[in-house]
Amino acid sequence: MSERATVDASEEIPPSEWGRRQPLPSVGPWAFAVVVGLLVIGRLVFAQYLTAPALQAWATIFVAICVQALPFLVFGVLLSAAITAFVPASFWTRALPRRPFLAVPVAGAAGAVLPGCECASVPVASGLMSRGVTPAAALAFLLASPAINPVVIVATVVAFPGQPMMAVARFGASLVVAVLAGWVWLRFGRAEWLRIPARAGGEGSKWRTFQDAMGHDFLHAGGFLVVGGATAATMNVIVPRSWLESVAGVPVLSVLALAALAVILSICSEADAFVAASLTAFSPTAKLAFLVVGPMVDLKLIALQAGTFGRRFAARFIPLTFVLAVIVSMAVGEVLL
Amino acid sequence: MNRLTQSMILVLLGGAVLRITTLSTTYLNYVKPGFRPFLIAAGAVVFVLGVIGLIQEWRGSTETEHHHDHGHAPRVAWLLTLPVFAIYLIAPPALGAFSAKSEDAPAQPVAALDAYDTLPAGKVTDMTIGEFIGRAYGDSSKSLSGRQVKLTGFAVPSAKKKDRWYVARIQIACCAADGIALKVAVLDAAMPPENTWVEVTGTWREPKSGKLPVGTVAPELDAISVTGIPQPVEPYE
Repeated sequence: MSERATVDASEEIPPSEWGRRQPLPSVGPWAFAVVVGLLVIGRLVFAQYLTAPALQAWATIFVAICVQALPFLVFGVLLSAAITAFVPASFWTRALPRRPFLAVPVAGAAGAVLPGCECASVPVASGLMSRGVTPAAALAFLLASPAINPVVIVATVVAFPGQPMMAVARFGASLVVAVLAGWVWLRFGRAEWLRIPARAGGEGSKWRTFQDAMGHDFLHAGGFLVVGGATAATMNVIVPRSWLESVAGVPVLSVLALAALAVILSICSEADAFVAASLTAFSPTAKLAFLVVGPMVDLKLIALQAGTFGRRFAARFIPLTFVLAVIVSMAVGEVLL
Repeated sequence: MNRLTQSMILVLLGGAVLRITTLSTTYLNYVKPGFRPFLIAAGAVVFVLGVIGLIQEWRGSTETEHHHDHGHAPRVAWLLTLPVFAIYLIAPPALGAFSAKSEDAPAQPVAALDAYDTLPAGKVTDMTIGEFIGRAYGDSSKSLSGRQVKLTGFAVPSAKKKDRWYVARIQIACCAADGIALKVAVLDAAMPPENTWVEVTGTWREPKSGKLPVGTVAPELDAISVTGIPQPVEPYE
């Protein structure tokens, strides 16, 4: 039990079942048997009726988002569990500048080395926090890494042939937003808003710690990813794109429209440049806003962050990031594009 | 949720992912072909993690008590069974006419280059719809004019004009969520039933006004023949 003591540092936010025994520990396997039964019966009986085109399109997009995010999520969770189990906490105090004010930009720039999309960065950031990294620095890393890593930058260069400034602007604007958001959190954020997921550690073998951290993180983050994927698929099917085209020519509104589209579509940051390039009616600044907002704020990320760090954190941090991302995109777009 | 249930969910999810990637080509309805090794790896990790958990639970009844405390995962993990339900019950097909219709304005193909090879004369050239649109929109040397090409896609009726139809294909960059519909209007041919896959052979009809306004009108094709085909293994471009 002693290894769970750290959990209670943030009593109010964790879901009620954390650190407590289920009232009926044996209910899970039975519920599971029901799930499997429903799968078998459903496939035999209902599958032939589930053929409405809108439902099928929804299901395709929903499954596509989940399936596409899975490798990144597994990679992120593996890395996070490895950080928890095998990297000693002292490593981070040596690797990052001691003063939090300096640690934020260093952590943000370090995001450039993790090739992955936003689903991977949430578990990694949470692993860093639970290993004693300043939350503001881990948050800067969380925001920067899906937008500025080499894979994403190369994809952006490929998607915008002849416009290398788009990739430069994306890199610069994303890093600036991440660092600013980190600093704002450092200055105004309160510890009680943020739930730092506690890890079992110290006792037991390292491999067991690794395995437990991995299973727990994957199920937890995966569950919220499903929430985000379902919401994004719903919006994708019911919101007509023609609404967007109507504001393409209006200066500020077009930027806000594409920023909002980035939130709704929840496209993986490694693919969003191709979608941005196809939105030909919009100005380069609006496309830049799409590329900067997308990896930092989208429906599946909102679900993931709220699930990992708590709702009180998400309710403050997500609007902050969104506003910063839009303002910085407009400024950078004005100068570079 | 205890360790036993957690492990079972992991096995179910990992199994579903392995099934759509190794036993069938269903995964091509959702992601690019290049994604397969990553999906198999991720599915295998999840599956193995679940199996190890099950074995430990099966053997170590004495250990169970010790690990019970940090074995709990939140109830939200049950939601991971939703994609499994979707895969088995709805068996989502590739995006088709429903998605292509909802955006009537044709999307500009990604990366229109102005350096296309010349096409052989007197021969039908197989071409992706993306390349056809790219050549029609952006090729100053007009390499398409007078050449016969064969396009593969599904039939979509126009949302606005009654007798107009398109041969369309969804282009994806990463997964089906970022799909863009590419459409070419087919002239002088009766429309096959909506959403059937066809091969259309024909020649590009040059627009009268010279260059097409980019991203506003789908290019047109004078059809010579329209043949029904089964859906290609790889449904997206």
